Amino acid sequence: MPAAISAHSLSKTFRVKVRDPGLSGAVRALVRPRYREVQAVREVSFDIAPGEIVAFLGPNGAGKTTTLKMLAGLLYPTSGSVQVVGFEPWTGGSAFKRRIALVLGNRQQLVWDLPAEETFLLNRAIYDIAEPDFRERLAELVDLLRLGPVVDKPVRQLSLGERMKCELAAALLHRPPILFLDEPTLGLDVSAQDAIRRFLSGYRDRHGATILLTSHYMQDVTALASRVIMINRGRLLYDGALEALVARIAPTKRLELVLGSPVSAESLATFGAVHSYRFPHAVFDVPREAAATTSARLLAALPVADLSIADPPIEEVIRLAFAEAPEPE
Amino acid sequence: MRRPRWPALLASLVRLNAVEELQYRANFVASVLATSFWIATALLTLGLFFRHTTRLGGWDYWEVVVLLGVFNALTGVIESVLRPGIGQLADDVKSGALDLVLVRPADAQLFVSFRRLDLWRVTDIVLGLALSGYALIRLGHVPTIWQSGAFLVALVAAAIVVYAIWVALMSLAFWFVAVENLSVLFDALYEGARYPVSAYPGALRFVFVYLLPIAWATTVPASTLTGRLSPVTALGAAGVGAAAFLLARLLWRTALKRYTGASG
Amino acid sequence: MSTATVWARRYGALIRNAWLVDLQYRAAILLWVLWGVTEPAIALGIWWAIAGAGDVAGYGRADFARYFFAVMLVNQLTIAWDSWYLDRWIREGELNFRLARPLHPAHEATADNIAYKARSGTILLVVWLVTAAIWPAVRLPLDPARWALTALAVLLAAGLRFLISFTTGLLAFWTTRATAIMELHAGIAMFLAGRIAPLALLPPPIAHLATVLWFRPMLAFPVEVLTGAVTSTPELLSGFAAQVIWLALWLAACRLAWRRGLARYGAVGG
Repeated sequence: MPAAISAHSLSKTFRVKVRDPGLSGAVRALVRPRYREVQAVREVSFDIAPGEIVAFLGPNGAGKTTTLKMLAGLLYPTSGSVQVVGFEPWTGGSAFKRRIALVLGNRQQLVWDLPAEETFLLNRAIYDIAEPDFRERLAELVDLLRLGPVVDKPVRQLSLGERMKCELAAALLHRPPILFLDEPTLGLDVSAQDAIRRFLSGYRDRHGATILLTSHYMQDVTALASRVIMINRGRLLYDGALEALVARIAPTKRLELVLGSPVSAESLATFGAVHSYRFPHAVFDVPREAAATTSARLLAALPVADLSIADPPIEEVIRLAFAEAPEPE
Repeated sequence: MRRPRWPALLASLVRLNAVEELQYRANFVASVLATSFWIATALLTLGLFFRHTTRLGGWDYWEVVVLLGVFNALTGVIESVLRPGIGQLADDVKSGALDLVLVRPADAQLFVSFRRLDLWRVTDIVLGLALSGYALIRLGHVPTIWQSGAFLVALVAAAIVVYAIWVALMSLAFWFVAVENLSVLFDALYEGARYPVSAYPGALRFVFVYLLPIAWATTVPASTLTGRLSPVTALGAAGVGAAAFLLARLLWRTALKRYTGASG
Repeated sequence: MSTATVWARRYGALIRNAWLVDLQYRAAILLWVLWGVTEPAIALGIWWAIAGAGDVAGYGRADFARYFFAVMLVNQLTIAWDSWYLDRWIREGELNFRLARPLHPAHEATADNIAYKARSGTILLVVWLVTAAIWPAVRLPLDPARWALTALAVLLAAGLRFLISFTTGLLAFWTTRATAIMELHAGIAMFLAGRIAPLALLPPPIAHLATVLWFRPMLAFPVEVLTGAVTSTPELLSGFAAQVIWLALWLAACRLAWRRGLARYGAVGG
């Protein structure tokens, strides 16, 4: 079966104006600007089969969104080639745009002042969806996303989670085979994130859509995607199943404590590997399986005011997995 | 002996500010160019009127240019102080940012009015006064000490009247929260200040002097400067300014009481 | 489904959407309309005073009154704010999702204009009718031919001003000063398009410039058709011809700017 999305040696280089520090530099930037080249995406290649859910993972500025924009036809590659459902995105035109949906986490497409229903009706006209198809798909999406009480309220009155669900519904009315999501769970609370992940998974199962999402949350991957493409500094670091990735990285969880009263560093060390300690914040890296029990021990023995368990940040994962030095900020 | 650190510190502060200035220099130049363009447009419009008449409401060309200069100076006050300050009140009420202001111990009206200044719009004031000065030369009229003093009083009074009008308009934001462009009301009204009040036919003249006293903003100061009105008028202008301010203050407090739900 | 039906449905939905949004902002729109009539109202006041009992270059007081009321209405029906919207779309990332769907953003912009003008034009028409009931000076004959020709001239002028505004907005692909350029154009149009005075009152070389360029086609010509200043067939034909020619030229400029701008956008992102 031909790939739904295929990228070959995809590269994107931007020219950025250089401004030297200092007064003379500011003058020079006005009079004779200099440019340097930023390689946002370097020779990225992958093939995605129809019906796959793939997560593009990487820290901010890694090149995920740039890659996504090239796949969606908003940017054209500096070199390399890309094919999405048989089209070259940049030149695909209307026929291509009908086969994709693009949802941007930080930029909404719903009409702000009107109920989401109105955006749905608008999309029906824009994508030329036949009336019976529209009714059927709308009913399905409203049901799956539990949008019943929400579709007739003005979008500006909705919570962030409700808005994102409506965005997804609006994007899927024309039942595109390809769905591009840029940071879809950004800023959402845990239950909303969960609901969206379950929805996407269920939607793919029902309709075989190919879903590509960018994220810097590990949970998006663990809960949703079977395949992870890890990008850092424009380069593709890893492309494969999640389990293999997890096996590759040090299987740790990060415990963050806020202590009520000072505790000696030595006594902290008896509980596990201390990542950092500056009163009142103490951070531990503990094995995944031991996270819960270690937390219980800490809570029992120490004056803990607050405790949270999280995955190590993506940057750490990359560092641990690929032995790359962290990028200087 | 230790070398003092402050010269080095001062030098780097100056350098830092200069670098920032350079960024804003482009905006500054753009601002001056824009103001010059609009002054030129206004002069051309005036030229067009005077192509078909010799006097506008009894004023001759250069007298009206004096008024145009005052108009621009006043615009500078509005753009540098009023619009960025009290002009944002409607947005603050809508977004709830006003609540943060009300919590502070300072007088809310004072704070809202002066919290943000667009300093480079002060060039409008300079350009406007320069234009008036040039027009006076062309008129061959050198204002006496009394006239100049009266002019300054009248100009300050005009600024206060305009400020009071802004406060009154913005107080409407407490009642009409959904209207996002209340400042447009002022812009519409302010157009009337471009020409001497006597240039308008009867009905409009009545509106601009008594109902929406925008005439006081430009006609009176310009008149005291050119000698049309005696310097004593400035006292009247000061009185109007004070009255306007008090009325506006009253309106503000009423609106605020309603907003905070206090009885009264 | 035929192409015509598809487009009818699309425009129907787009206009409906824009109309509903405008409904939410109806108070603000009323204020914009008020602001829009201030400049002509004040110009009328000044010319009224200057004309006195006589006339200025053939325009008596009543003529000025009719002229400026016509300017108020025609201006409201032809003015285009799209340069500001495009500028914002391009600079604030609101163009991306519009580019990703199978509808050229110009259609959304056109539909917005139709909805807005239907609303604000109706408001002004009603104001004019009410004023005409009390003030004989602003009355115009209810000659169907004249109103039909005016409608055509207004339609062409609205299209022309839309293209000018849209093309200027596209400059935002290259510069942050696109709105400044639009303001410059508006400042010049104040004279050349006949906003501040009928073109007959301008110095002849300036009036000639206005006729040769797109300024008379964009406002003054439809106003003149409405007030009856232009009645003879050759005058009407040349006026309409000028509108069509400039419409075609600005359309070409718009397409060029869009192609080039989009290519640049695809290179540098947004």
